[in-house]
Amino acid sequence: MSEFSEWFEQTFKNCYCEQGNLVDQDRFSEIAQLVLDNEADEESLKLFEQKLKNCMQTSGRFAEEKNLRECIKDKLSQFKQDIPGDLAKSIRNSING
Amino acid sequence: MAETQEEAVRQNYTEKEKASIFDTEFMTHVDSMYNFAYRLTFDEDDAKDLVQDTYLKAFRFINSFERGTNAKAWLFRILKNSFINEFRKKSKQPAKVDYNEVESYYNSDEAGENITTDLRVETVQHMIGDEITGALNALPVDFRTVIILSDLEGFTYEEMAKILDIPIGTVRSRLHRARNMLREKLISYAKEMGYNN
Repeated sequence: MSEFSEWFEQTFKNCYCEQGNLVDQDRFSEIAQLVLDNEADEESLKLFEQKLKNCMQTSGRFAEEKNLRECIKDKLSQFKQDIPGDLAKSIRNSING
Repeated sequence: MAETQEEAVRQNYTEKEKASIFDTEFMTHVDSMYNFAYRLTFDEDDAKDLVQDTYLKAFRFINSFERGTNAKAWLFRILKNSFINEFRKKSKQPAKVDYNEVESYYNSDEAGENITTDLRVETVQHMIGDEITGALNALPVDFRTVIILSDLEGFTYEEMAKILDIPIGTVRSRLHRARNMLREKLISYAKEMGYNN
């Protein structure tokens, strides 16, 4: 059982109303992020995937969450600070000196 | 605590082994270390000093490092601690939002009303990396840090918990809040620029 099993089950349940409709977008987003971060255990993932198959709203919301995350991640990764050319050398000098 | 046990295992490396570990396991992360340092300090010289200081400490305490374990997480932890203990006090740092204030705001019911998750991918696609980086940089440092560690450096929640000295549940919730805050910033930026009309 992973760290988040109980939390996942409870939070997932609270995302939906009695009729099974997605009613809490913010809670769902927290659940989706855990899945996208590969931190959900197998059982939680099964529960989640089952819902994805049966609920259009859930699968649409998850796809949106996933695309948005990837887009932000890609753009952030592209913007990296250039490392000063002499940094590695000065590190080596400081440990040897 | 597991971490205390980890720290208690001391190695006894020869000078040759130390040099080899330093080169093959530590120096390979210098790029990521510098980028992390820069995203914390926003200053090239401070970032350079912070990285240099981290490597010096890593070398000094190399016997606390077990060869073949996660060197990157170990180095990031040293860097984060150095930043908190030494660099964060510097006046060069931009004004900080009180962490507890932000955390309690995002825990309150009031926050839920303002958080909107409807930031469409097309809107973000129109933005350039620089604008998104600007939004990330505007986050309070503790929230910015979890996004960098997770989304840019690919650390797991467990590794982040060790680097930041916080429970894994706090990593999950802080990351969620940080991403919501980033979205809010991007939404207001998009509105200002007329992206989402």
